[in-house]
Amino acid sequence: MREVGTVQTDTRDQTPEPLTGPGAAQGAPAPGEGPSGGRGGRTATTKRAGTAGRHLHAGRLTYAVLSLFTLGSLFPLVWTAIAASRDNQRLAETPPPFWFGSNLIPNMTTAWNDANMGKALLNTFVVAGTVAVSTVVFATLAGYAFAKLRFRARNALLLTVIGTMMVPPQLSVVPLYMAVAKLEWANQLQAVILPLMVSAFGVFFMRQYLVNALPTELIEAARVDGAHSLRVVWHIVFPVARPAMAVLGMLTFVMAWNEFFWPVIALTQDNPTVQVALTGLGRGYIPDESVIMAGAFLGTLPLLIAFALFGKQIVGGIMQGAVKG
Amino acid sequence: MTLSRTEPATGSGKPPVRPAASGGGSRAEERRSRRYRRDARWSPYAFIAPFFLFFAAFGLFPLLYTGWASLHNVSLHDPTHMEWAGLHNFSRLWEDEFFWNALRNTATIGVLSTVPQLAMALGLAHLLNYRLRGSMFFRVVMLTPYATSVAAATLVFALLFGRDYGMINWALGLAGFDHVDWENGTLTSQIAVSSIVIWRWTGYNTLIYLAAMQAVPDDLYESAALDGASRWQQFWHVTIPSLRPTILFTVVVSTIGATQLFGEPLLFGGSQTGGGSHQYQTLGLYLYEQGWFNFHLGRASAIAWTMFLILLVIGLANWLIARRLQRSSSQ
Amino acid sequence: MHTSRNTSPLHRTSHLRHRPGSRRLTASGLAAVLAAGLLAGCAQDGGGSGSGTSADGKTVVSVGVFGVFGYKQAGLYDEYEKLNPGIKIKENSTERNEDYYPALLNHLTANSGLSDIQAVEVGNINEVANLHSDKFVDMAKAEGVDKSAWLPWKWDQAKAENGKVVGLGTDIGPMGVCYRKDLFKKAGLPTDRKDVAELWAGDWAKYVETGEDYMKDAPKGTAFTDAAAGLYNGSVSSYAVKNYDRDGKLIYKKSEAVEKSWDLAMQAVEGKMTGKLKQFDKAWDQAYANGTFASVICPPWMLGYIKEKSGPKGADAWDVAAPPRPANWGGSFLTVPEHAKNKDEAVKLAKWLTAPEQQAKLFEKQASFPSSSKALSLPAVADAEHEYFDDAPIGEIFSDAAKDIPTAVLGPKDQLIQENIGNIGILQVEQQGKSPEEGWNAAVKKIDDAVED
Repeated sequence: MREVGTVQTDTRDQTPEPLTGPGAAQGAPAPGEGPSGGRGGRTATTKRAGTAGRHLHAGRLTYAVLSLFTLGSLFPLVWTAIAASRDNQRLAETPPPFWFGSNLIPNMTTAWNDANMGKALLNTFVVAGTVAVSTVVFATLAGYAFAKLRFRARNALLLTVIGTMMVPPQLSVVPLYMAVAKLEWANQLQAVILPLMVSAFGVFFMRQYLVNALPTELIEAARVDGAHSLRVVWHIVFPVARPAMAVLGMLTFVMAWNEFFWPVIALTQDNPTVQVALTGLGRGYIPDESVIMAGAFLGTLPLLIAFALFGKQIVGGIMQGAVKG
Repeated sequence: MTLSRTEPATGSGKPPVRPAASGGGSRAEERRSRRYRRDARWSPYAFIAPFFLFFAAFGLFPLLYTGWASLHNVSLHDPTHMEWAGLHNFSRLWEDEFFWNALRNTATIGVLSTVPQLAMALGLAHLLNYRLRGSMFFRVVMLTPYATSVAAATLVFALLFGRDYGMINWALGLAGFDHVDWENGTLTSQIAVSSIVIWRWTGYNTLIYLAAMQAVPDDLYESAALDGASRWQQFWHVTIPSLRPTILFTVVVSTIGATQLFGEPLLFGGSQTGGGSHQYQTLGLYLYEQGWFNFHLGRASAIAWTMFLILLVIGLANWLIARRLQRSSSQ
Repeated sequence: MHTSRNTSPLHRTSHLRHRPGSRRLTASGLAAVLAAGLLAGCAQDGGGSGSGTSADGKTVVSVGVFGVFGYKQAGLYDEYEKLNPGIKIKENSTERNEDYYPALLNHLTANSGLSDIQAVEVGNINEVANLHSDKFVDMAKAEGVDKSAWLPWKWDQAKAENGKVVGLGTDIGPMGVCYRKDLFKKAGLPTDRKDVAELWAGDWAKYVETGEDYMKDAPKGTAFTDAAAGLYNGSVSSYAVKNYDRDGKLIYKKSEAVEKSWDLAMQAVEGKMTGKLKQFDKAWDQAYANGTFASVICPPWMLGYIKEKSGPKGADAWDVAAPPRPANWGGSFLTVPEHAKNKDEAVKLAKWLTAPEQQAKLFEKQASFPSSSKALSLPAVADAEHEYFDDAPIGEIFSDAAKDIPTAVLGPKDQLIQENIGNIGILQVEQQGKSPEEGWNAAVKKIDDAVED
């Protein structure tokens, strides 16, 4: 966590235009002297790579197929909203409703109040945000080390990291809870946050990305000039890794947002995340499905809004990140 | 990017930096070079330390505990009370038909979901790789299944695959076909579960492939076009080979995901049994049944470790094949 | 490490190259989030479910429940807080017992995360009583608890072998038979609830015989009953001894209750009188809405469900009759863990919530049927009628059933056995076309595997 603090402080010291990747590689000023250059090369690189070579125009068939998949992708979500706008009784009837009813707001209000949604959303934002940031930062550091630095037992350690991805998650819950209980963390957010702070996948992901994306000469140049390794990380690795960091951050955020099994055990309705709060919904001998659906919709809505607002950036991050520099 | 490149990249390549390269022999430089060497030597460990520290605290302990528990009779009622059982929990799996059934189901569902998922993703990525109006819209839409809660999605799919009133059977009926009892058939239920998985992950893989496709150098296409290759031939002879590392990688990650498949089959039938004849009970679900329904934590731990070992074997095999391919392609 | 339930590939990666374009703001924003998260985590150190006191100095008693207990909805918490100004009540609710119970066990093992009062479902109470009695307060010894207020069989369910009583009974689920008069009429059966009850009085086999009659002239597309597992459940629950004998030995393979009930279920399947449904499935709901089965074995708590799912279309159709033999389905207990932060207050509250008056109020508001024999004779219960079910005197019908319910011998694996017989054995025969022998063997194999150490 100390590292995290460092990151925050350093952010302020950061000069506006960090070095970025191969475009800046040739003749770039050594990072040790302050990353003031690289602007020109950067834009040029993007331009050329962003448009060149996507040679073929899409035909009608392409649009038809894509539209079909769009419908398929959106249907369950849209139907969730439709179900949330009906009442419980209508949902049992056949055929199921295909258009919106008038109960969306009342159902969402019920869900909001019954499930302690305000607090849940805040908590989930804290959990998912913290987890995403820490996963990204730690994964980038470790991924960089595995990709570009030489040290003893590197291969063995990397294989260990990959191996940990293969552990089935359901079982860790029991020992984890015993540990959390010993620390008296039950029902506190850190019980959910800390076990998720790092991810093997993230490390592997960043390593694989940096192996290709980070030119070894760039680091060499910096090292030759005697730059300390933290400087290298800050001025070279982070800027180069940024698109991958954005993608990893988004994936981790969504994953942490939808995390269910462990939070249900570690937290209670007193201090819930969204998924925990939703388990308390529509309860009863007559589970009210329309309210449950309204809750599910409410729980997904923030992610949707984020997609709508940042979708361009996120997806753009993936795409432009893929560009050959 | 892929496992196949792991080896050369982490292998005995040249050291990325040679301190001696800067030459010179002044004392200041020596001091600098000493400091430099210390930094070069220890900073990698500092960079990987956070991961391993957190992993030791929250990952390794459960893993070891699970390993230890797998050698005992442990009940969920009192996980601290363990009775030594040796390898019994493992050896009993050998004769456990439910385990083999789950293993089989996991494999078939894995194939049923992974293959079409990746194939469709590849095709879609190819389409999205064209010059396209509203390409950003399509890309964002592809991501929505990933964000939709599994519970909501599963309910929708249950409505789709219902025997008496499901929409798919309704459509089949319109077309003059008999109703299909999706949940009760072995293959049909596995198709239904696979379709949920496919729905959730196709868009995601699409974006992965798309990203990789955009990294294919243009000159490859240009020279192929000069040679008179059609669109299809370009896809087949330029795109696919360039994507091979990425494809291998997605196969590995999807395999891990498929082996641990749990949420979709659980929610599809609403029960840990995975259908009346366990026809879609996966290993993940069987583990859950033994641990959380039958309360046999020791057995569940043994299943978990067996899954772990299976994955390691698959991973190893994959790695060997990848290395082979790499070798043969570089020759 | 991940503990997600959706364990399909959680993460994917892509063939990424770097993207220029600075988003320092994002970076510092994210760092701020991280810092805030850690702060929030630390700030909440004093929190948690069992801090014991609220900000205004009141004693906070937390109540952990699953599903609906309806205490909040019926205003009982408010009432208690008014009667006891120093007390504040907080409810932690989880919808599904399948999520709630394992969490409770985890919390018990760790002695943390426990609410002051923990509800326990009847399916788990025997296990809790016999495996964890040392972790709970003995309610029989609590001041002012009057054993005679409860139906004796209910009281005994929470009694451990060592005599300790770990929980106070809340509600029960005496079964009746809900039936559709319109379908019965079309099939040539009587429709008056007294006459209908006569059809099968005293013997579940007669219920199946009625089914055979029904099927002879059944309205097209309808079945007599919803599911064979429902029939099995009703029948097997009417015996005192089913899966375990009185010494706690597992005898389900040769118990009369299981054998007879299994045979009845098989008879119903062979007579094609079941709707081949799984209870509480989506398709079950839809079958209510479409009116495709004529009867269902129903405890009082299911009446609201039927009303909701059948909707206005079924408004004049449903009625409820007395069951062939009295049997119980469901119900819960309130327990107080030894490690509860406010143990004494919790015992007082549990006692108050399960007192006859409160049980009667709960019945009025939430249709939870009282487990208190005193409550059963209160007018609010005894004279209750249900409008949707043609003003059926449900107070009378279910009270009669409740009083004659046998003191069932419970065992730790009852739920597991029932689930496997229903969802494996019967389901294989009913829905997958296997023979009764195959179904039975499959269920037995699964149960043997599960109960073996």
